[in-house]
Amino acid sequence: MSFEEFQNRARLYVIGALEPEETEEFEIARKEYAQQAEVFISQCYDLHEAFALSLRPEKTSDVLKQRLMLMVRDRQQK
Amino acid sequence: MAIEPSDKEGMSAAQNGAPSAPRMPAAAPELEPGAPTDLELMQSIQAEDPEALSQLYDRYNGIIKALILRVIHNEAEADDLLQEIFMEIWNQAKNFSAQKGKPLGWMVTLARRRAIDGLRKKQAYARAEERLQTETEQQPDAWVHNATEEEITFSDTRILVRRVINTLPPAQQQAINLAFFRGMSQREIAAKTNTPLGTVKTRLELGLKKIYDGLKELKDEL
Repeated sequence: MSFEEFQNRARLYVIGALEPEETEEFEIARKEYAQQAEVFISQCYDLHEAFALSLRPEKTSDVLKQRLMLMVRDRQQK
Repeated sequence: MAIEPSDKEGMSAAQNGAPSAPRMPAAAPELEPGAPTDLELMQSIQAEDPEALSQLYDRYNGIIKALILRVIHNEAEADDLLQEIFMEIWNQAKNFSAQKGKPLGWMVTLARRRAIDGLRKKQAYARAEERLQTETEQQPDAWVHNATEEEITFSDTRILVRRVINTLPPAQQQAINLAFFRGMSQREIAAKTNTPLGTVKTRLELGLKKIYDGLKELKDEL
């Protein structure tokens, strides 16, 4: 697999859209390209951030946060 | 805590705080002077400081909830899931590594996975599918909300990212939308859209490459 093909697969991989048969080939190429592959995959995960930031933030209630912080502090005390 | 709209500087590097390979912008909001970076907050969370989680929550709860809602389309379930996700961020913080990516990327990955799992577990899939079907029929190119909303938080970032996404043909946007926000495989997308598998693959590859390249270009311009 060329590195360009690997890059195409990597973008699919990070959004979980690789088909099983593609995943196997992808993992072989990933090992082959080693560090170069890992750096590229890491960059591809920025797509997640970009997709999330393309959305309009939603409002949440203060009660939700209070509940969360209570749970966290409760967990800490255990 | 107030979050200023992101500026044209892009905050990725500053907020990441870690040396790394050049990254796409996906700029997070600008921070107030003296405010801890996302990475500093994650490090504090790793040291079990609840105040850091509180700050991270204030900074990103709206974005994470928007992501969840995009997947499950149910306000009450989204709130429950939002709480669970931030609890998981607290519990799993030790697994976060700055070398592998930025805190927001890690949180989004975690939130997306939980939301898609939640969607399937709660058997809301069929109902959501129906809603999605209606949405896609009505607005095949509707990747994001309209740009008329009045809130300013994240607005600059969102506009920049949208600009990139909106350059894609509707079919590519739809394929990526179904894959990312619905967790659908290529085969599932092919079946859902009545499109040959090879075409779906091409749409996904081309679309993702365009977004990736577009975001990189944006970064170069900033």
